[in-house]
Amino acid sequence: MNQLDLPFLIQCAKFLLVFVPLALIPVNIFLERKGASLIQDRIGPNRANIPFLGGMRLFGMVQNLPDGIKLFSKESFIPKGAHRTWYFLAPMIPMAIALLTPAVIPWFAPLLVDGARGAVAVSGQILDADSGILVLFALSGLSVYGVVLGSWASNSKYALLGGMRASAQMISYEVSMGLSAAGIFLLAGSFSLTDIVEWQGANPFHWGLVLQPVGFFLFLTALFAETGRAPFDMAEGESEIVAGYFVEYSAIRFALYYMGEYAHIAIASALVSSLFLGGYQVPFLSTEGLRSNLGLAAAGILAFLGLACAAIAFAVRRWQRIYETRGASDVAVRRREHAILFGAFSTLAVVLWGAAAASAVLVHPAQVGGAWPLAIQLGAAAVQLGALVGKILFVCWIFVWVRWTLPRFRYDQVMHLGWKILLNVALANLLVTALVARLAKG
Amino acid sequence: MALTVPRPEMTLAEKAYIPEIVKGLKVTMGHLLKGLARPETLPVLNYPEIQPEVPRNYRAKHRLMKRPDGEPRCVACFMCSTACPANCIHIEATESKDGRIEKKPASFEIDLLVCVFCGLCAEACPVDAIRMDTRKVALAADSREKFKVGISDLLDWNPKDYPESDEQSQKAPGGTLNALARKEWGLE
Repeated sequence: MNQLDLPFLIQCAKFLLVFVPLALIPVNIFLERKGASLIQDRIGPNRANIPFLGGMRLFGMVQNLPDGIKLFSKESFIPKGAHRTWYFLAPMIPMAIALLTPAVIPWFAPLLVDGARGAVAVSGQILDADSGILVLFALSGLSVYGVVLGSWASNSKYALLGGMRASAQMISYEVSMGLSAAGIFLLAGSFSLTDIVEWQGANPFHWGLVLQPVGFFLFLTALFAETGRAPFDMAEGESEIVAGYFVEYSAIRFALYYMGEYAHIAIASALVSSLFLGGYQVPFLSTEGLRSNLGLAAAGILAFLGLACAAIAFAVRRWQRIYETRGASDVAVRRREHAILFGAFSTLAVVLWGAAAASAVLVHPAQVGGAWPLAIQLGAAAVQLGALVGKILFVCWIFVWVRWTLPRFRYDQVMHLGWKILLNVALANLLVTALVARLAKG
Repeated sequence: MALTVPRPEMTLAEKAYIPEIVKGLKVTMGHLLKGLARPETLPVLNYPEIQPEVPRNYRAKHRLMKRPDGEPRCVACFMCSTACPANCIHIEATESKDGRIEKKPASFEIDLLVCVFCGLCAEACPVDAIRMDTRKVALAADSREKFKVGISDLLDWNPKDYPESDEQSQKAPGGTLNALARKEWGLE
């Protein structure tokens, strides 16, 4: 065991968490498409299917596959007069940053692992630096370089206009973003995200959302602007500047920008969850409580997932109706697909409920020599990771929901809101928080 | 004189913006939940399989009207190609075999890719020879040449696809009024 130090192994294994935002990209795209279409009373993508699997469409999720294949195999066009070096490098910047930022998100509570040099605390962050969140702010501030360089290098007036707008907007909102989160740092007394999440605790009434409601809304608004999403999608605008900073990009380089945006949303959601929604904390179950009741906690979560699968199976039944009532030419294929999906999801629900019952009955965690066994700690960490991913998905959905609800702002309105309203409210919020915190401590 | 329309004053809740956002979010979520729960009520078509109902007076692909014997009614007067703002109608005239009519088109070509579907050709025609009521709106082909439709394509329609009240169409071969019209035209 001495050759392979256990804490070191876990440190290495944590690097896999970098792929969480990457894995959330297709989920986000699916959420966006299906959410947009249902909000607009449409059905959304439902044509792409896998012919070998009985015309499986998976609620339109299969659409991501042909899109990916198309974007990979298309010609990557370089416009005349483009600065080739920067044109190649620029789309990589947002994506690279989206892969760097998960390093400072705490994905689970710190573990206490027995190693070669005694018990070592292994943080839930990949990079557990004291500057924590400042690294994240700095990195996401860098992502504007991808936009500006890409727009400058592609030798197009429209792209340049879009890039200029995007950079002005991102820089303006970065100020209110930092200031609106400052209230939380003040209360938690730390920049480290693990400390902030630990300070929030498992009680939802002590989360940042309740203690800093104004800060939460300001931060969310600033994040919408920061990720360049509607209603602040100034960098894009079909009627004004064609497509924005990526107008000259095609094929996989365009896809890099596109995927970078969705990864950025996932990361921004992780940040909001960590700062204001209790991060990895399972509601009403502290890390200690989670470890001592791991069997029941896991049972609860598995039962919930089983319920979700049952709901999906039920939804599959209902959605069969659109094909029955609307005269699709392939009703037989659709019926078969829905039978397969219904069977799969209802079986999954039963299996998950069985697993929930088993975990409630069989798992009885007990401390060994005053410490939790590693397996229990890892199990609790997995549950906490699941809780955080659940929160991330919820915030991602808010991003989509807001995008398809609000009309976009005019450019001068964006600047007005950013500098004259958000910044002032953020400063006032910080001042009031500081005063109250000082008075409360006496 | 400039007329100033007073803008309605916003209430405090509207100025604060947040309550209005929440209202909007409620609306969109309502649509989403309704679509999820009752997908059969969504106002959409299963498109390629189910075609939309196109009204008769919709300006769609052109057709040339026929005489009772199946010849085009067109007298090659060039009114339509003169009226055409897109210059997409090209006619070549030739002598008509029927002594009562001076000319007939030897070729009648419409470039549907150039056509702006304004309907001025149908307006201009003095003898009701060209119409745009085929309800063919989804035009597709795999080459530009195939969009240049000629006289045989334009004459290729069936009176059964047109309503009984459309007398001009029913006088064509295959129509309900064809026998009568042939007699009137002096063919029997």
